[in-house]
Amino acid sequence: MSILEVEGIKKIYTTRFGSNQVEALKNVTFKVEQGEYVAIMGESGSGKTTLLNILAALDKPTAGSVKLDARDLSRIRESEMAAFRRDNLGFVFQNFNLLDTFSIEDNIYLPLVLAGMKYREMQERLTKVAGRLGIADLLKKYPYEVSGGQKQRVAVARALITEPKLILADEPTGALDSKATDELLGLFREINESGQTILMVTHSVKAASHAGRVLFIKDGEVFHQIYRGNLTNEQLYQKITDTLTILTTGGERG
Amino acid sequence: MRGGFYPRIVLTGMKKNRRLYLPYLFTCIGMIMMYYIILFLAKNPIIASIRGGDSVQQMLSLGSYVMTFFAVIFLFYTHSFLIRRRKKEFGLYNILGMGKRNIGMVMFWETVFVALGAVGIGLFFGIVCSKLGELILVNVLKGDVKYSFLIDFAAMKQTMFLFGMIFLLIFINTMWQVGRTNAIALLHSENVGEKPPKANWFLGLIGIALLGGAYYLAVTIENPLDAMMWFFVAVIMVIIATYLIFIAGSVLICKLLQKNKKYYYQKKHFVSVSSMAYRMKRNGAGLASICILATMVLVMLAGSACLYMGSEDSLQTRYPQGIVTTVRQYDLGKMNDEEADKRRQTVNEIVAVHGGALIQPIEYRYATITGVINGDELEVDYRMYESSATVFKNLYQIYFVPLTDYNKMTGGQETLADGEAMMYTYRCKYEDDILNVHNGGSFRIIKKIPEFRINSNMAMDILPSIVIVVPDFEYSLQKIAALKTENGEQMLIPYWYYGFDLNADVDEQVEITQEIYAALKAGIDADAICYCESREANRYDFYATYGGIFFLGILLSIVFLFATVLIMYYKQISEGYEDQARFAIMQKVGMTKENIRKSINSQMLTVFFMPLVMAVVHLAFAFPMIRKLLMLFNLMNVRLLVLTTLVIVLIFAVFYAVVYKITSNAYISIVSDAKNEKM
Repeated sequence: MSILEVEGIKKIYTTRFGSNQVEALKNVTFKVEQGEYVAIMGESGSGKTTLLNILAALDKPTAGSVKLDARDLSRIRESEMAAFRRDNLGFVFQNFNLLDTFSIEDNIYLPLVLAGMKYREMQERLTKVAGRLGIADLLKKYPYEVSGGQKQRVAVARALITEPKLILADEPTGALDSKATDELLGLFREINESGQTILMVTHSVKAASHAGRVLFIKDGEVFHQIYRGNLTNEQLYQKITDTLTILTTGGERG
Repeated sequence: MRGGFYPRIVLTGMKKNRRLYLPYLFTCIGMIMMYYIILFLAKNPIIASIRGGDSVQQMLSLGSYVMTFFAVIFLFYTHSFLIRRRKKEFGLYNILGMGKRNIGMVMFWETVFVALGAVGIGLFFGIVCSKLGELILVNVLKGDVKYSFLIDFAAMKQTMFLFGMIFLLIFINTMWQVGRTNAIALLHSENVGEKPPKANWFLGLIGIALLGGAYYLAVTIENPLDAMMWFFVAVIMVIIATYLIFIAGSVLICKLLQKNKKYYYQKKHFVSVSSMAYRMKRNGAGLASICILATMVLVMLAGSACLYMGSEDSLQTRYPQGIVTTVRQYDLGKMNDEEADKRRQTVNEIVAVHGGALIQPIEYRYATITGVINGDELEVDYRMYESSATVFKNLYQIYFVPLTDYNKMTGGQETLADGEAMMYTYRCKYEDDILNVHNGGSFRIIKKIPEFRINSNMAMDILPSIVIVVPDFEYSLQKIAALKTENGEQMLIPYWYYGFDLNADVDEQVEITQEIYAALKAGIDADAICYCESREANRYDFYATYGGIFFLGILLSIVFLFATVLIMYYKQISEGYEDQARFAIMQKVGMTKENIRKSINSQMLTVFFMPLVMAVVHLAFAFPMIRKLLMLFNLMNVRLLVLTTLVIVLIFAVFYAVVYKITSNAYISIVSDAKNEKM
């Protein structure tokens, strides 16, 4: 069953005085199945951030539709949107987006508190998630006291604790060193193996090579996609590099 | 670069940052306006021509110094907010290739624009409003309104000079600040991370203890003179305590709230409690300043308003009778009945000539001496006083009154044997039944007098008074009269006192007073001195002095209010910019706009109304002290004081609420700008 259906999405930005129109997304169509781990690749300006904003319901497409778990995002009222995002989507950002006013623990609790959950239940969920992500001894600390890799794990914990249908990750390894990157990618793999659907936007080949499927976006369209099949990470890495070479040197659609 | 470049870049910069610049401009304008008005009134010939106007003008000149002091501190403070916000912009200019010299030029033009705009507009409104100020002041002084419109060019020049200097100093300070930092630091100057504060039990407890001590002092002080001495001690204690409590105490409270999981992990409290806890260390100081300024405004307004409203009361207290005549003569022997009769007749004849009738006249002789009472011992020789601190507390003014005069006045038939006396205490208590005057004999108090018609000396004296009715003057006071100061002067000073009300109009009363004075002066010995005062002649001075204090109180309150409002505004605005990113994150994590609004409201309400509540509590505890202090001004009307204070607190609270509304709107609009930012 498809958890995410993106159908013919188009996004046109109009400059302030209406004289100039920029087409960020021309026509994007793809599906994500339950339990899949999809990476979306593309260069800066290819429209991947626009796409992610639309998937996160932070922005509305000019045309086309996005369905999450068979629910059309454009049908959801503005007032319910925040709650919908909170319950169905988990976000992991490049710059972690942790609140420095909160302890690690409180950062992870935040979405649950907003959902109005009871403390006891929150606590149970936290214990589970923290154990799984290996951050149990960090809980009482503050974001400024922990490393970048640890911060990103906290952000993942915050995304997971609501048990979302889909995790949206925006360049999750962008601010991490190589060791922390490896750890995080391993973590994503584990999470995915336990059944969590992940959609990751990145231009790191290494990050993408951990995914089950890689979509390439160029000039606002899905240009190509690669399935992992039985490939190892290294083999997939090679294939992605090849594709990117074609993509940047302007080869025809493969 | 062409000539118009800097002005243009400055103007766009200011326009973009108008949320920051407008309040700063308003402050400058307000300060300049107030300063000009104060100067204008201090030199205004119309005010000077009113009776009592000169004393008001003296007060206003004093006020202008306070204003100067305050304007410097205050403009520096607000400007530092601006610079902190704009450092990033300067960093960007720096990276784009503008040297520090160029940034200096930008700052120079900016200062010029602000200075020209503020001085121009400020003086314009100052000139317009100075007439209004004059009208109010004339009205307060109960003078006649004359219509004229004038501009005081000297005051204008002085205002321009003062504020020109202040702007120059601000410019130099800014240059110094910009010169000290490099581009990268300028760019990042806003995002310096901060540790969440630790709760400091020790400081919090000291704060509470200090406040408790100050409150205890304020409530327990009995004596107006003590109140005057201890008032400043209490004020300093309260100021320190307020800072400690807001800085350490507020963190403590937040930490306690965070420990209470059920309370803390609720949508309503979660965000606001945590961000308050995080900020309190810095916030605490700001909140404490607001609280202290608010307290100052309240105390100043309440005190001066009471003085003014109570002018008539004080006047009546100060002059127990409409016309008061005293003759001072050192020789007790000459204070005999014949002399008294002669003087009384002189006065009565003058009143009769004017066709007036005496109402409730009182006449008695008294001999007065100052001394320290320790137990039942009265020490009148100041060379024998011990340390000065305790002396003040036990200093009394003693009035000896002969029994014959007392009986005549009350129509009673009291009798006293040698060494016996009756006592009346005014604004004090005396418990012993004997009073030993050191080197002056003893008086056995056989009776306490419940009521006594006080004279004007007792009324105006800041020392508490004790009246001792003695069998006679010459014999009973013989020993005391023999006491001399080191200059050989007699310590005991005898007076003849004659006071009465008169049903005549103001001018006639003043005239009679002058005639009585002239006639008595002609009839007394060379070593004697006579006084004749009337309530009516002093009414103007009373209204002028108290009205002047009130007027100045209002002017300074406006200035302090400006300060309070601006500190709050800038605090919230700068926090708003800091919170923008935070609320953006929260929205991504699933916070609705409604949640944000609620959390902001609960935060702002606490932040705003905590200082107000605290200020009102301060005022409540300061109240007994204010009452005692006002006693020194002959103001005893507690009901008036309570009412005035309540009205002022009410007005202040309404004003505060309006500022809260404006500020919270600005804050919310800054924070919700974040919604336009995407991932």
